[in-house]
Amino acid sequence: MTVFKAFLKVLNKCKIPIIIYTVILVFFSAFNMQTSEKSVSFTASKPNILIVNKAKEEGITKSFINYLNKNSNVINIVGSEEKIDDALFYRDVSYVIYVPENFSQEIIAGKSPEIKVKTVGDYGASLANMMVERYLKIANVYSDVAESEEELVSLIDDTLATKVDVKITSKLDSNSIEKAAFYYNFLNYCILAGTIYVICLILSSFKEENIKKRTMVSSMSNKKYNTILLLSNGLFAFVLWIFYVVLSFILLGKIMNTMHGLFFIINSFIFTFCALTIAFLIANLVSNKNAVNGIVNVIALGSSFLCGSFVPTSMLPNFVLKIAHALPSYWYIKTNDLLKEVEVFNVETINPILTNMFIIICFSIIFIIITNMVSIKRKGKI
Amino acid sequence: MKNVIEVKNLTKKYKELKAVDNLSFEVKEGEILGLLGPNGSGKSTTINCLLSLLNFDGGDIKIFGKEMSPNAYDIKRKIGVVFQDVAVFEELSVYDNIDYFCGLYVTDKKTRKKYVEDAIKLVGLENFKKFYPKQLSGGLLRRLNIACGIAHKPKLIILDEPTVAVDPQSRNNILDGIKKLRKDGATIIYTTHYMEEVEILCDRVIILDKGSVIASGTNDELKKLSSTKEKIIVEVMDLDKNHIKEINTLKNVAQVTYKDNNLTIAYDKGKNNIVDLINYFKKEEITYNNIFVARPTLNDVFLELTGKELRD
Repeated sequence: MTVFKAFLKVLNKCKIPIIIYTVILVFFSAFNMQTSEKSVSFTASKPNILIVNKAKEEGITKSFINYLNKNSNVINIVGSEEKIDDALFYRDVSYVIYVPENFSQEIIAGKSPEIKVKTVGDYGASLANMMVERYLKIANVYSDVAESEEELVSLIDDTLATKVDVKITSKLDSNSIEKAAFYYNFLNYCILAGTIYVICLILSSFKEENIKKRTMVSSMSNKKYNTILLLSNGLFAFVLWIFYVVLSFILLGKIMNTMHGLFFIINSFIFTFCALTIAFLIANLVSNKNAVNGIVNVIALGSSFLCGSFVPTSMLPNFVLKIAHALPSYWYIKTNDLLKEVEVFNVETINPILTNMFIIICFSIIFIIITNMVSIKRKGKI
Repeated sequence: MKNVIEVKNLTKKYKELKAVDNLSFEVKEGEILGLLGPNGSGKSTTINCLLSLLNFDGGDIKIFGKEMSPNAYDIKRKIGVVFQDVAVFEELSVYDNIDYFCGLYVTDKKTRKKYVEDAIKLVGLENFKKFYPKQLSGGLLRRLNIACGIAHKPKLIILDEPTVAVDPQSRNNILDGIKKLRKDGATIIYTTHYMEEVEILCDRVIILDKGSVIASGTNDELKKLSSTKEKIIVEVMDLDKNHIKEINTLKNVAQVTYKDNNLTIAYDKGKNNIVDLINYFKKEEITYNNIFVARPTLNDVFLELTGKELRD
């Protein structure tokens, strides 16, 4: 209990970096959620247009103007051409259509009427242009088969009135999964930095040469002492992981109750264990407290950048990804990215995920073996 | 009195170098043994072997009548060590540091609390309990280091140069504390460079050089080993070579040195040689400022035995 109590007191002195890492994680996750909301939302909009009709408003011309009225905001500007230009300049309208005098006759004759337009070239103007072209194409198709203008108008109106019902059969909440993947990818940095920083600092205190000597001459067995330290560090990493998982439930909500959420959690648990083994290895190699900060930056930041924790892997050059294969973070992030694509969990989809997790466990075993080799080599040195 | 420590023919080699060479000594219950020697004489290696921090190449070490080994936790329970370098947690307060190191030996919370309070009182850190090591001066830090080593009330205490770079107030406090520990029944091994500390504290002294005992005994026994029986130091200006030659021929004079206006005369016999010297100064009309007589010190003994100053 004495060693564990001292461990907690030393840990208490490391709380500031943990808070900083968490604040960064929350900030970026919140920011990501904000931006991804915008990218998937759809707002139906109607372009502002002005119709200058020189034809008689009957028959096909009437149908055409009705169609435009229905699908856009028709602005009424009465006056000279100068006023129309001003309206375009000030973006009161995006598109001006001059319906020619012979509009109906040309359509009935199967020709394309020469429609003069003025446009500001924005998205509204493009939309308006698409509407005009659509009407003219449909009219052109039916002009050959319709025997009268009435029949032609009726065919065009029926076609334009047809609506297609699109039903999304996929139940996958891709937006939420995307957010969860971002959170858990970013967690790579927080877990690595948090565990390495804290464990290295704590162990450099407990393994400081003079304190180690004092402990070795005490009546507490070395085995018991090391076991308590090992378990204390393990407990810290576990609590840190639990904290970040709970935080993910708060930030990401329902998605965490799905199979996707479960796999994100399992993956992060395995990675936390791996980070713990990395921290033990570094703590065994480095005894200087001042070097810990630099090492955390090199390892946590370096592998996070190389493996796609901050930037999507699709944006990373091939040679970087090849190097990243040698780091456990790469397999952790790859699993999170794979989870984004999985719609149904079956043997086929789970297999590559389990393989990645197994690779992370292999990394952990390698780190444990190296740590043991280092500490055996150092044993007996005073 | 029983032997608390028995070391027989201890040998420790670092490759070809013999750091400790066939060393044998005993420490009796309740005594303070001073371990003297210049840097590299084998003091720290001997202590590390005693504590099983180092494997040794030959010899036997028995503490409290039992063979010492890394797993001899029943023996370790009775030993307290104060290393030369301060060994405390920067992240823990004075109280927590002492409590932690005491906790490695004493599991009972109530007993430990009392022991920690006693240790704080012994080293005079009552007003600094909540301070962190970084907030303490060098002297206070040394006191904390001692408190951490002796809080569990050990029967055998090993103090490795505990007063290095300590202010006079802290030194006095530490020395008083050590005297109190002895009074309470502890056996102490004390290594230091400070002769005056050895003379004040130690019942017996072992002088080590090149890993071997070159002399041992009480302070008086060791001083008797010195050929110098009396030393007179005079502050005198501009003494010429002829005068120095003539002083050399005075009765009982063994050696004369004159450096920085200080004339030091070592006598191999007699007790009142100052009379002859003052008469000579009167006859030659030599004026002097200060004159004093000194008894031979352990440093003189050490110098004669090893040809080195203790701090070399």
